[in-house]
Amino acid sequence: MKSIRISCGSASWGDMLDPAVELAEKGDVQYIGFDHLAELTMSILQRMKVKDPKRGYIPDLVPWMKRLLPIARAKGIRMLTNAGGANVEAAGEAVEQVARDLGVTGLRLGLVFGDDVLERLPEFRAQGLKFPNLDTGEEDIDAVADRIVSANAYIGSEGQIEALAERADVVITGRATDSSAHIAPMVHEFGWSTEDWDRIGAAIAIGHIIECSSGCAGGMSNFWNEIKEPWRVAFPIAEVYENGDAIITKAAGSGRMVNEWTVKEHLVYEVHDPRSYVMADGVSDLSQCRLESVGPDRVRVTGFQGRRRPDTLKLCLGYEDGWVGESEISVCWPDAYEKAVFCERFLRGRFEQLKLPIREIRIDFIGVNSIHGPLAPLPSNLDEVNEIRVRVAVRTTSREYANQVRREVTHLWTHGPVGTTAVISPPAPRQVISLWPTLIPRELVPQRVVVKEVH
Amino acid sequence: MPRRISLREVAYARSGDKGDVVNVGVMAKTPADYELLRKHLTAEKVQQHFDGIVKGPVVRYDLDNLQSLEFVMQRALGGGATRTLMMDQTGKAYGPNLLRLVLEVDG
Repeated sequence: MKSIRISCGSASWGDMLDPAVELAEKGDVQYIGFDHLAELTMSILQRMKVKDPKRGYIPDLVPWMKRLLPIARAKGIRMLTNAGGANVEAAGEAVEQVARDLGVTGLRLGLVFGDDVLERLPEFRAQGLKFPNLDTGEEDIDAVADRIVSANAYIGSEGQIEALAERADVVITGRATDSSAHIAPMVHEFGWSTEDWDRIGAAIAIGHIIECSSGCAGGMSNFWNEIKEPWRVAFPIAEVYENGDAIITKAAGSGRMVNEWTVKEHLVYEVHDPRSYVMADGVSDLSQCRLESVGPDRVRVTGFQGRRRPDTLKLCLGYEDGWVGESEISVCWPDAYEKAVFCERFLRGRFEQLKLPIREIRIDFIGVNSIHGPLAPLPSNLDEVNEIRVRVAVRTTSREYANQVRREVTHLWTHGPVGTTAVISPPAPRQVISLWPTLIPRELVPQRVVVKEVH
Repeated sequence: MPRRISLREVAYARSGDKGDVVNVGVMAKTPADYELLRKHLTAEKVQQHFDGIVKGPVVRYDLDNLQSLEFVMQRALGGGATRTLMMDQTGKAYGPNLLRLVLEVDG
């Protein structure tokens, strides 16, 4: 039975490059799919593009291609990435430049457009689309319409399949779904119909398993303490068979592990109803699948099913929603906890004194309850705790107010309890981009594909 | 006599986010543990456990094939990763946090 080896080269903007290089060199793979985008990323990239029309794609794309293109060309590996972000055109030009700099000739570059509907929103609004918020139930985007900075539909694999059919070696998209870069090669290689729902359901599930790089190979794992060499991160490979089954594995000799537990950990990750894992390409049903260990670092996955794709695509609108100012300072033994409480009272009192317009405030004691919140029991040796870091975050209305929050924390240095120290200049105030998840009819978001050869 | 069983003894968990929704996948360590979880780890118990953190409803989905339960929690992340003031912006620590739960089991 025909099979292909597809791998994941990235889970997000800022992921590690070395494991991607390792699997290109030693993984015996035909395809590498990269996910570089998270929910917030599109808004950041959109604003980069507004400032400079040559930017707005994932900057990692350039160093990634510099390392990977020569290997990929030598081995005939094709790469698909959503690093185009908010500017697929400019991303394409950047990759062309890399190819020229490296002396790579004859590279076929595929660009997929269509996810960005920001400029078409007024047109859709005029047609009567209200774009109700899927999270909050608010029925109309009216309240935020003048603050929207990005609008991207999560598009499926159609454009990428077309680009592969036109012999693209590198395919660049914007906000395509995480798994689409893995689905496209399967459909292309096996000649599956994009309406063969059980196959598409399998492709979505297999894509989901590997799309988060080391997420199915010991990253974010409950079995972290079985990892002998933490620094040797490995990215996964799916050896996919024509019938929709797959073996999840990794490059021979690479670090970490792939086993039934690590694959299961990722199958349940960021999935809601497992019978209806809805993606742009179809609906995958994970409830009948089986995992079986078939060798060292090899797990067979079978039994995925699928159903017809939805008539709508997920659309994520990003809108400006105030500013966050945050900062931290440390208090020490003796009486660290009581000192932390003193700092909290100081900050809350000062913000009131300053009449700071606070939309939301949160004060954490790092080392005590900053991660598990009210569910974290106080340590039994509270009197003897060595140190606590006090962290404050305030959502407010302007950059100036956000800066004031940071300034007040520095005052604890000299006006706080004895031994209060270690104010580290925190990141500048950040503007909040809230997300408004909604749906858009599929037919309103056509994809456009351009494939060109780089000379 | 009811026994008290820490979830940590019988399950692994991993969590993640989509917008303001956090999901926790709870994986039973053994088939017997899965039966115990199915019987006792209800959506209501999980909802009570996260009181003060999760503001919306909690729904449970059973995955008999993976011996796992999926809990989907609405309005769980202070408005979602891009907006929340929580340090755990992407809900990664909700899994371990759920493992703090103690089940009261008959016999």
